[in-house]
Amino acid sequence: MIDPIVLARVDALQMKYLSALDRRDLASWLDCFAAEAGYVCITRENHDAGLPVALMMDDTRARLKDRVKFVNEVWSGTFEDYATRHFVQRLDCKESGKDRYDVLTNFMVSYTNRRGGSEILVTGVYEDSMRIAGANAHFISKRAILDTVTTPRYLVYPV
Amino acid sequence: MPDTEVSVRWPARYNTIPKDVFHRRDVYEAELSRIFYGPEWHPLAHVSEIPDKGDFKTLQIGEAPVLVVHGDDDKLRVFYNSCPHRGTQLQICARGHAKEIECPYHRWLFNLKGDLVGAPGLNEFSASFKKEDFGLRELRSGEFAGLVFATCSDQAPDLDEFLKGTKDYLTKALGGDGRLKLIGYQKTIYGTNWKEYGDNEGYHPPLLHRAFRLLKWQGGQGSNGVTEHGHKVMEAEVQRPQPGFLDDHSLVEFRDTSTPPRSIIVSFWPMTTIVKHMDVINVRYAFPLSPDDTEVHYAYFAHQDDSPELLQHRVRQASNLLGPSGFISLEDGAVFSRVHAGSRSLGTVAFQKGYADKPLQAPCFVAQNDEASNLIRWEHYRKSMGFARD
Repeated sequence: MIDPIVLARVDALQMKYLSALDRRDLASWLDCFAAEAGYVCITRENHDAGLPVALMMDDTRARLKDRVKFVNEVWSGTFEDYATRHFVQRLDCKESGKDRYDVLTNFMVSYTNRRGGSEILVTGVYEDSMRIAGANAHFISKRAILDTVTTPRYLVYPV
Repeated sequence: MPDTEVSVRWPARYNTIPKDVFHRRDVYEAELSRIFYGPEWHPLAHVSEIPDKGDFKTLQIGEAPVLVVHGDDDKLRVFYNSCPHRGTQLQICARGHAKEIECPYHRWLFNLKGDLVGAPGLNEFSASFKKEDFGLRELRSGEFAGLVFATCSDQAPDLDEFLKGTKDYLTKALGGDGRLKLIGYQKTIYGTNWKEYGDNEGYHPPLLHRAFRLLKWQGGQGSNGVTEHGHKVMEAEVQRPQPGFLDDHSLVEFRDTSTPPRSIIVSFWPMTTIVKHMDVINVRYAFPLSPDDTEVHYAYFAHQDDSPELLQHRVRQASNLLGPSGFISLEDGAVFSRVHAGSRSLGTVAFQKGYADKPLQAPCFVAQNDEASNLIRWEHYRKSMGFARD
């Protein structure tokens, strides 16, 4: 049984992450990760087949920082922007070491399409490893595994 | 394939293309018939995607479902993914493995060569039924550098002829000897017409893709052309990007010392493109879903001789550089859909850079940052569709 206070901090970190993405605030997104953390967004097709190529692979802090540069500096003004809403459901949370927790969370992300309507962008599951030390909570790793094999548009923002 | 009369008013000026070919449903239907199911070849799989006997892959030619099968005899065959009895789709997953192919509807069974092995109730079939008439419908197919091509048409030239002018590029782009290892896919849909997807050229890269400027990444010497069959070929030296912009510069390093640092692109008519850029080896299988949507499957490869470190480097580059969310390629997707939205304004578009006010003859090579050679493709398209110039 996980301490309810820890669970509340697990959820708070996840909400901070989702809120940053829905606000398209990449600096706040970066703040959710520990210094040694990595982020991978991969399709279930590749994941299940043992194929390592991802849609986004930020396996170091430097890569995470570069993702922020991609969105804010490199692609800015060219891509067709879109608003997202992330909806999640925590499925499992297990202690995996001192202050460490492995958390499994379903997600569904809606977005505003080119015609102004709302559609599902991607669905899938987060396989997260978090460090919760008192009030400090960060992702040590975050792996977004997409059930969506063929995305309905090119993804600009992390999921 | 049945076809209907379609008429498009084609401007007399050689460098001018009518925008309605990007939107009209009747034009699209005729394109399926005259181009996709017509006398063209389509890359469908690399042998490394289906390396073992019994492996299969499903895909489309135009909108027609096809099945690429690695046979017991090591031959790669391409069939329509449809039971010859009542048309049921035979395999439903993108890739898989099977000892034989069974239709779920009435349990007709086929071997990997496509022969009908058995069908329940066969004694009660019509007197004229012959097993040999009901094997899987096989397409003409052929292979080059491990890449399997197929055509729906008996009128297509030999594959060798179709590939004329591309083989050297293709060999180099596919790792030199074609001994590749699949490392994954990225799949997306672009909100664009298939011809707009294919109309990328050499003019735009330093202008659209800001990453080149931010990395102080200059282009090197190279060639840029279109073959007689409408295939674009490009090869260029690639200078090493300058450190300073990225926190992790390793993402844009060349680490494969077995080949010179060059960018090689073979963009087959009508759609699929093979790209070797930095240490990324990439086949972009593409097919139209409608006049307004184009689906692209980016397949990535390593070489079988790669060290674990080089393999990991290729995985990182494949995941971050050149795909639909790639650092130096995302803007292509943005422009595809913006071009399509804008071309609803009707009228014409015009290719200018490198065009000298006279028709071009294939094979045609232009300066690296020109766009005029695409007009060879457009001429091939116009003739394939039977559209007369004004």
